[in-house]
Amino acid sequence: METLYQIFADPFVQIVSAPDFFLQVLWEGLVSGVLYALIALGFVLIFKSSRIFNFAQGIMVVFAALTLVGLHENGVPAWLAVPLTLGVMYLLALSVERVVLRPLVGQPDIILFMASIGVTMFLIGFGEFVFGGENKAMITAELGIPTGSIEFFPFGGFVLIEQKDLTAVIMAVLLVLCLLLFLNKTAMGRAIRALGDDHQAALSVGISLSKIWVLVWFIAGVIALATGIVWGARAGVSFALEVIAYKALPVLMLGGLESVSGAIIGGIAIGLLEKIFEIYWGQPLFGGNTETWFAFILALIVLLFRPQGLFGERIIERV
Amino acid sequence: MSVIEKAADITASSIGLQKAEERETLLDLANVSLSFGGVKAINNISFDIKRGEVRAIIGPNGAGKTSMLNVINGFYQPQEGVITFRGSQRRSMKPHLAVSHGIARTFQNVALFKGMSTLDNIMAGRTTRMKRNMFWQILYYGPAQREEIAHRRKVEEIIDFLEIAHIRSTPVGKLPYGLQKRVELARALAMEPDLLLLDEPMAGMNLEEKEDMSRFIIDVNEQLGTTIALIEHDIGVVMDLSDRVVVLDYGRKIADGSPEEVQKNQDVIDAYLGVSH
Amino acid sequence: MFYRVSGQFKTSYESDMALFPVKQDAILLAFILALFYVAFPMMASEFTYKALLVPVLIYALAAMGLNILTGYAGQLSLGTAGFMGVGAYACYKITSIFPEVNIVVALLLSGCFSAAVGVAFGLPSLRIKGFYLAIATLAAQFFLVWLFEKWAWLYNFNASGAIEVKGHEFFGLVITGPNAAPITQYYFVLVCVTVVSFAMINITRGRFGRVWKAVRDMDIAAELVGINLMRAKLSAFAVSSYVVGIAGALLVFFWKGAAEPNLFDIPLSFKVLFIAIIGGLGSIIGNFLGALLIVALPVLLNLLPGVLGLEINSATLEHINVMIVGALIVFFLIVEPHGLARLWALIREKLIIWPFPH
Ligand SMILES: Nc1ncnc2c1ncn2[C@@H]1O[C@H](COP(=O)(O)OP(=O)(O)OP(=O)(O)O)[C@@H](O)[C@H]1O
Ligand SMILES: [Mg+2]
Repeated sequence: METLYQIFADPFVQIVSAPDFFLQVLWEGLVSGVLYALIALGFVLIFKSSRIFNFAQGIMVVFAALTLVGLHENGVPAWLAVPLTLGVMYLLALSVERVVLRPLVGQPDIILFMASIGVTMFLIGFGEFVFGGENKAMITAELGIPTGSIEFFPFGGFVLIEQKDLTAVIMAVLLVLCLLLFLNKTAMGRAIRALGDDHQAALSVGISLSKIWVLVWFIAGVIALATGIVWGARAGVSFALEVIAYKALPVLMLGGLESVSGAIIGGIAIGLLEKIFEIYWGQPLFGGNTETWFAFILALIVLLFRPQGLFGERIIERV
Repeated sequence: MSVIEKAADITASSIGLQKAEERETLLDLANVSLSFGGVKAINNISFDIKRGEVRAIIGPNGAGKTSMLNVINGFYQPQEGVITFRGSQRRSMKPHLAVSHGIARTFQNVALFKGMSTLDNIMAGRTTRMKRNMFWQILYYGPAQREEIAHRRKVEEIIDFLEIAHIRSTPVGKLPYGLQKRVELARALAMEPDLLLLDEPMAGMNLEEKEDMSRFIIDVNEQLGTTIALIEHDIGVVMDLSDRVVVLDYGRKIADGSPEEVQKNQDVIDAYLGVSH
Repeated sequence: MFYRVSGQFKTSYESDMALFPVKQDAILLAFILALFYVAFPMMASEFTYKALLVPVLIYALAAMGLNILTGYAGQLSLGTAGFMGVGAYACYKITSIFPEVNIVVALLLSGCFSAAVGVAFGLPSLRIKGFYLAIATLAAQFFLVWLFEKWAWLYNFNASGAIEVKGHEFFGLVITGPNAAPITQYYFVLVCVTVVSFAMINITRGRFGRVWKAVRDMDIAAELVGINLMRAKLSAFAVSSYVVGIAGALLVFFWKGAAEPNLFDIPLSFKVLFIAIIGGLGSIIGNFLGALLIVALPVLLNLLPGVLGLEINSATLEHINVMIVGALIVFFLIVEPHGLARLWALIREKLIIWPFPH
């Protein structure tokens, strides 16, 4: 009886009795959700254009942030470190295309997936080798990100919003808008979408595959850097972030591998739900820390009922 | 063709027909319909297959032939209609049960197990007949090995029958297309089916390969007594091999009868010439 | 020259289906067995057992389990370490609840637990395919490690949150805990691994192996030749997790001696996956080669600074190790997706026809 009450009633009682705290929880969830969505977006872009499920996307976030901080530590001013990091991400895109994608073209999906796990390992080792493995602070102030906080007093209560979180959300929204503009309005963007729709057709229009791949991986790198900056501002920069980066995977399972809007909605949904679950169920009932698995189990359950994800179309297999 | 030959031909075919009518019905489809979203792949079709005959299913691209076979072996579940096989009725069936009910098939686009050798592919066709459990399999020597050898013997017979002994241990992914089709037939035969469904077994073959394949199909039908449902685009082959032909177009049945009848049917001629509906 | 097959004619299906249709393969295996059973123990020091030989055997066993699932049945799993953990914790609980139980029995039973958990997490594979499934296995990974941490009963409410292996005897011989001699532990693990290896070789060359490979190569066609996909996939999950679970129990009981939940975190899953890839997906013997490479690499790297006369700290060496492993994965996937096992097979083929290459 006691447990039933704790599972089915108590959380809702608490939500209603302390709505300001609930708002705070929602905001925290939203911020992580936005970041999950950003990482997932990188996945979707790469998957659409090259049919690779890029496991390394999460690591690219850490790698980009680490490069930025590492450069700054070595005396490079912030305004220069950002373009230099972008340069490094471009080099990364270029080498991945040369060394990994080109030789593996046409291989089964699973092989490509495993190759991206290899790239993940390599990036971890390389990043730690160059910049060291310890946790670093993001150069928040140097990049001009405000660090104060804003307070609200809804329902006679109190909600605190950190300005860097607000920056993160605004930046994410801007980034997504730019991306959508790029995909829909520029020739290159349309080429990427064409590639996603139909490889053969795109090739016959004379789009160079390798150019597009480099471009897409570079865009994924840019997204990774942006995510890395705002995330690093919250949690510091080290490869321990990798675990958080895995969160983008269930987001993809929910949103579908090819849908930009699916990634965004899925990311935000997972960010919100896991936070709510952790605060109202996880901590009181299971000793907390449920955020490590909640998203995965949720995605698993959803997939059991909709194997194509929430937004994918049902496919009837043929022979 | 001389008059005499023609007459002989007609009597021969009507004898064939008569023979077919006397035979028992192996499979009967009644008012079967199947649609994918808006596409009606099969529209209220009825026909039957008699034991021991070669039944051809023909029609233009997208007519619903492959879907028909998929309905027969349970891969697709029709929305309407009843299927009677060997006297028992069903609407739907788990696809993996088709084999134990006595239905085996080959595929339009070769569907072999690419990473496995020819021998293993054919042995895979014996799976449903192998009974030794995990315990014996782990021990291997003893009952499991004896079972394996018994089935291997059967498989070797099929290998000899289809003349593929030389590629026994080649991974099938490395075989030329024509041979892959033959291995697929071998795998289907390994299931010792009552009803064998062949989906365009000669597509993409040269003349010589086609002749070989025709010979195998006739041999299977005559020597093993296997009933065959055959989808084929090559009209010449259909005329030579089949006892009766059913013609589909846009999911509907437009003709059914002996090869000669069907060939003369105006609807069929229109469908193949693309006369608008 | 050594690999002459001429003169060896197959006169029956038995001999054609034998484990080693070519006699020299049997000789090679005998050679490897002799190495492990006789030569290595004669040369090995305590350090070699702990840092090289025992880990190689245990990792190879775990990779073998994963290989059944991924290499044979084609279901990619990123949750291996979680299942190893189930085996380890199960064995720990069994031995602490029933202290008199023979350790072999405890090991065999703990495999059953990991098999059951494996099947439970394998159920989604009936509906979810490809990398969707790979991600689903991460659910097992994260959930299980969380459970090892939060469920105090599992570690007997130890304040440290870790499990510690006590001394167990096997027919009067101390084989676990701090008082066990490394050589005894080594032989015990070696015998276990040998037995499981033969079981896996047998199971993969018969009906089960064919069924799994058929599912891997083309699941729809497999279904239409009469293979029950549910049974095929779940049996792969069961056998795989059983072996993986035993590897996990051996890891804690015969190598580490104690374990915290984070031992079974995702890096271990990756390590095992890499061994399977480098060793060769769809091979049993390859796992040993892969494990040898992955275990020996850091050991060799640690020797490097001494040889070169350089000052490199061990953290940096570890980073270099990770980097090399990542590069090796990509290298093998590009050059030889079937791994070291295939490389060996190619060499063998060359040797068979040598010196007449046509
Ligand atoms: N799994 C499926 N999902 C959606 N539509 C399908 C599916 N299978 C078949 N169809 C549609 O059903 C119709 C009939 O297809 P079917 O493959 O049966 O034709 P067919 O007669 O075998 O043609 P072909 O000669 O080209 O092989 C086509 O319009 C096809 O697009
Ligand atoms: Mg067809």
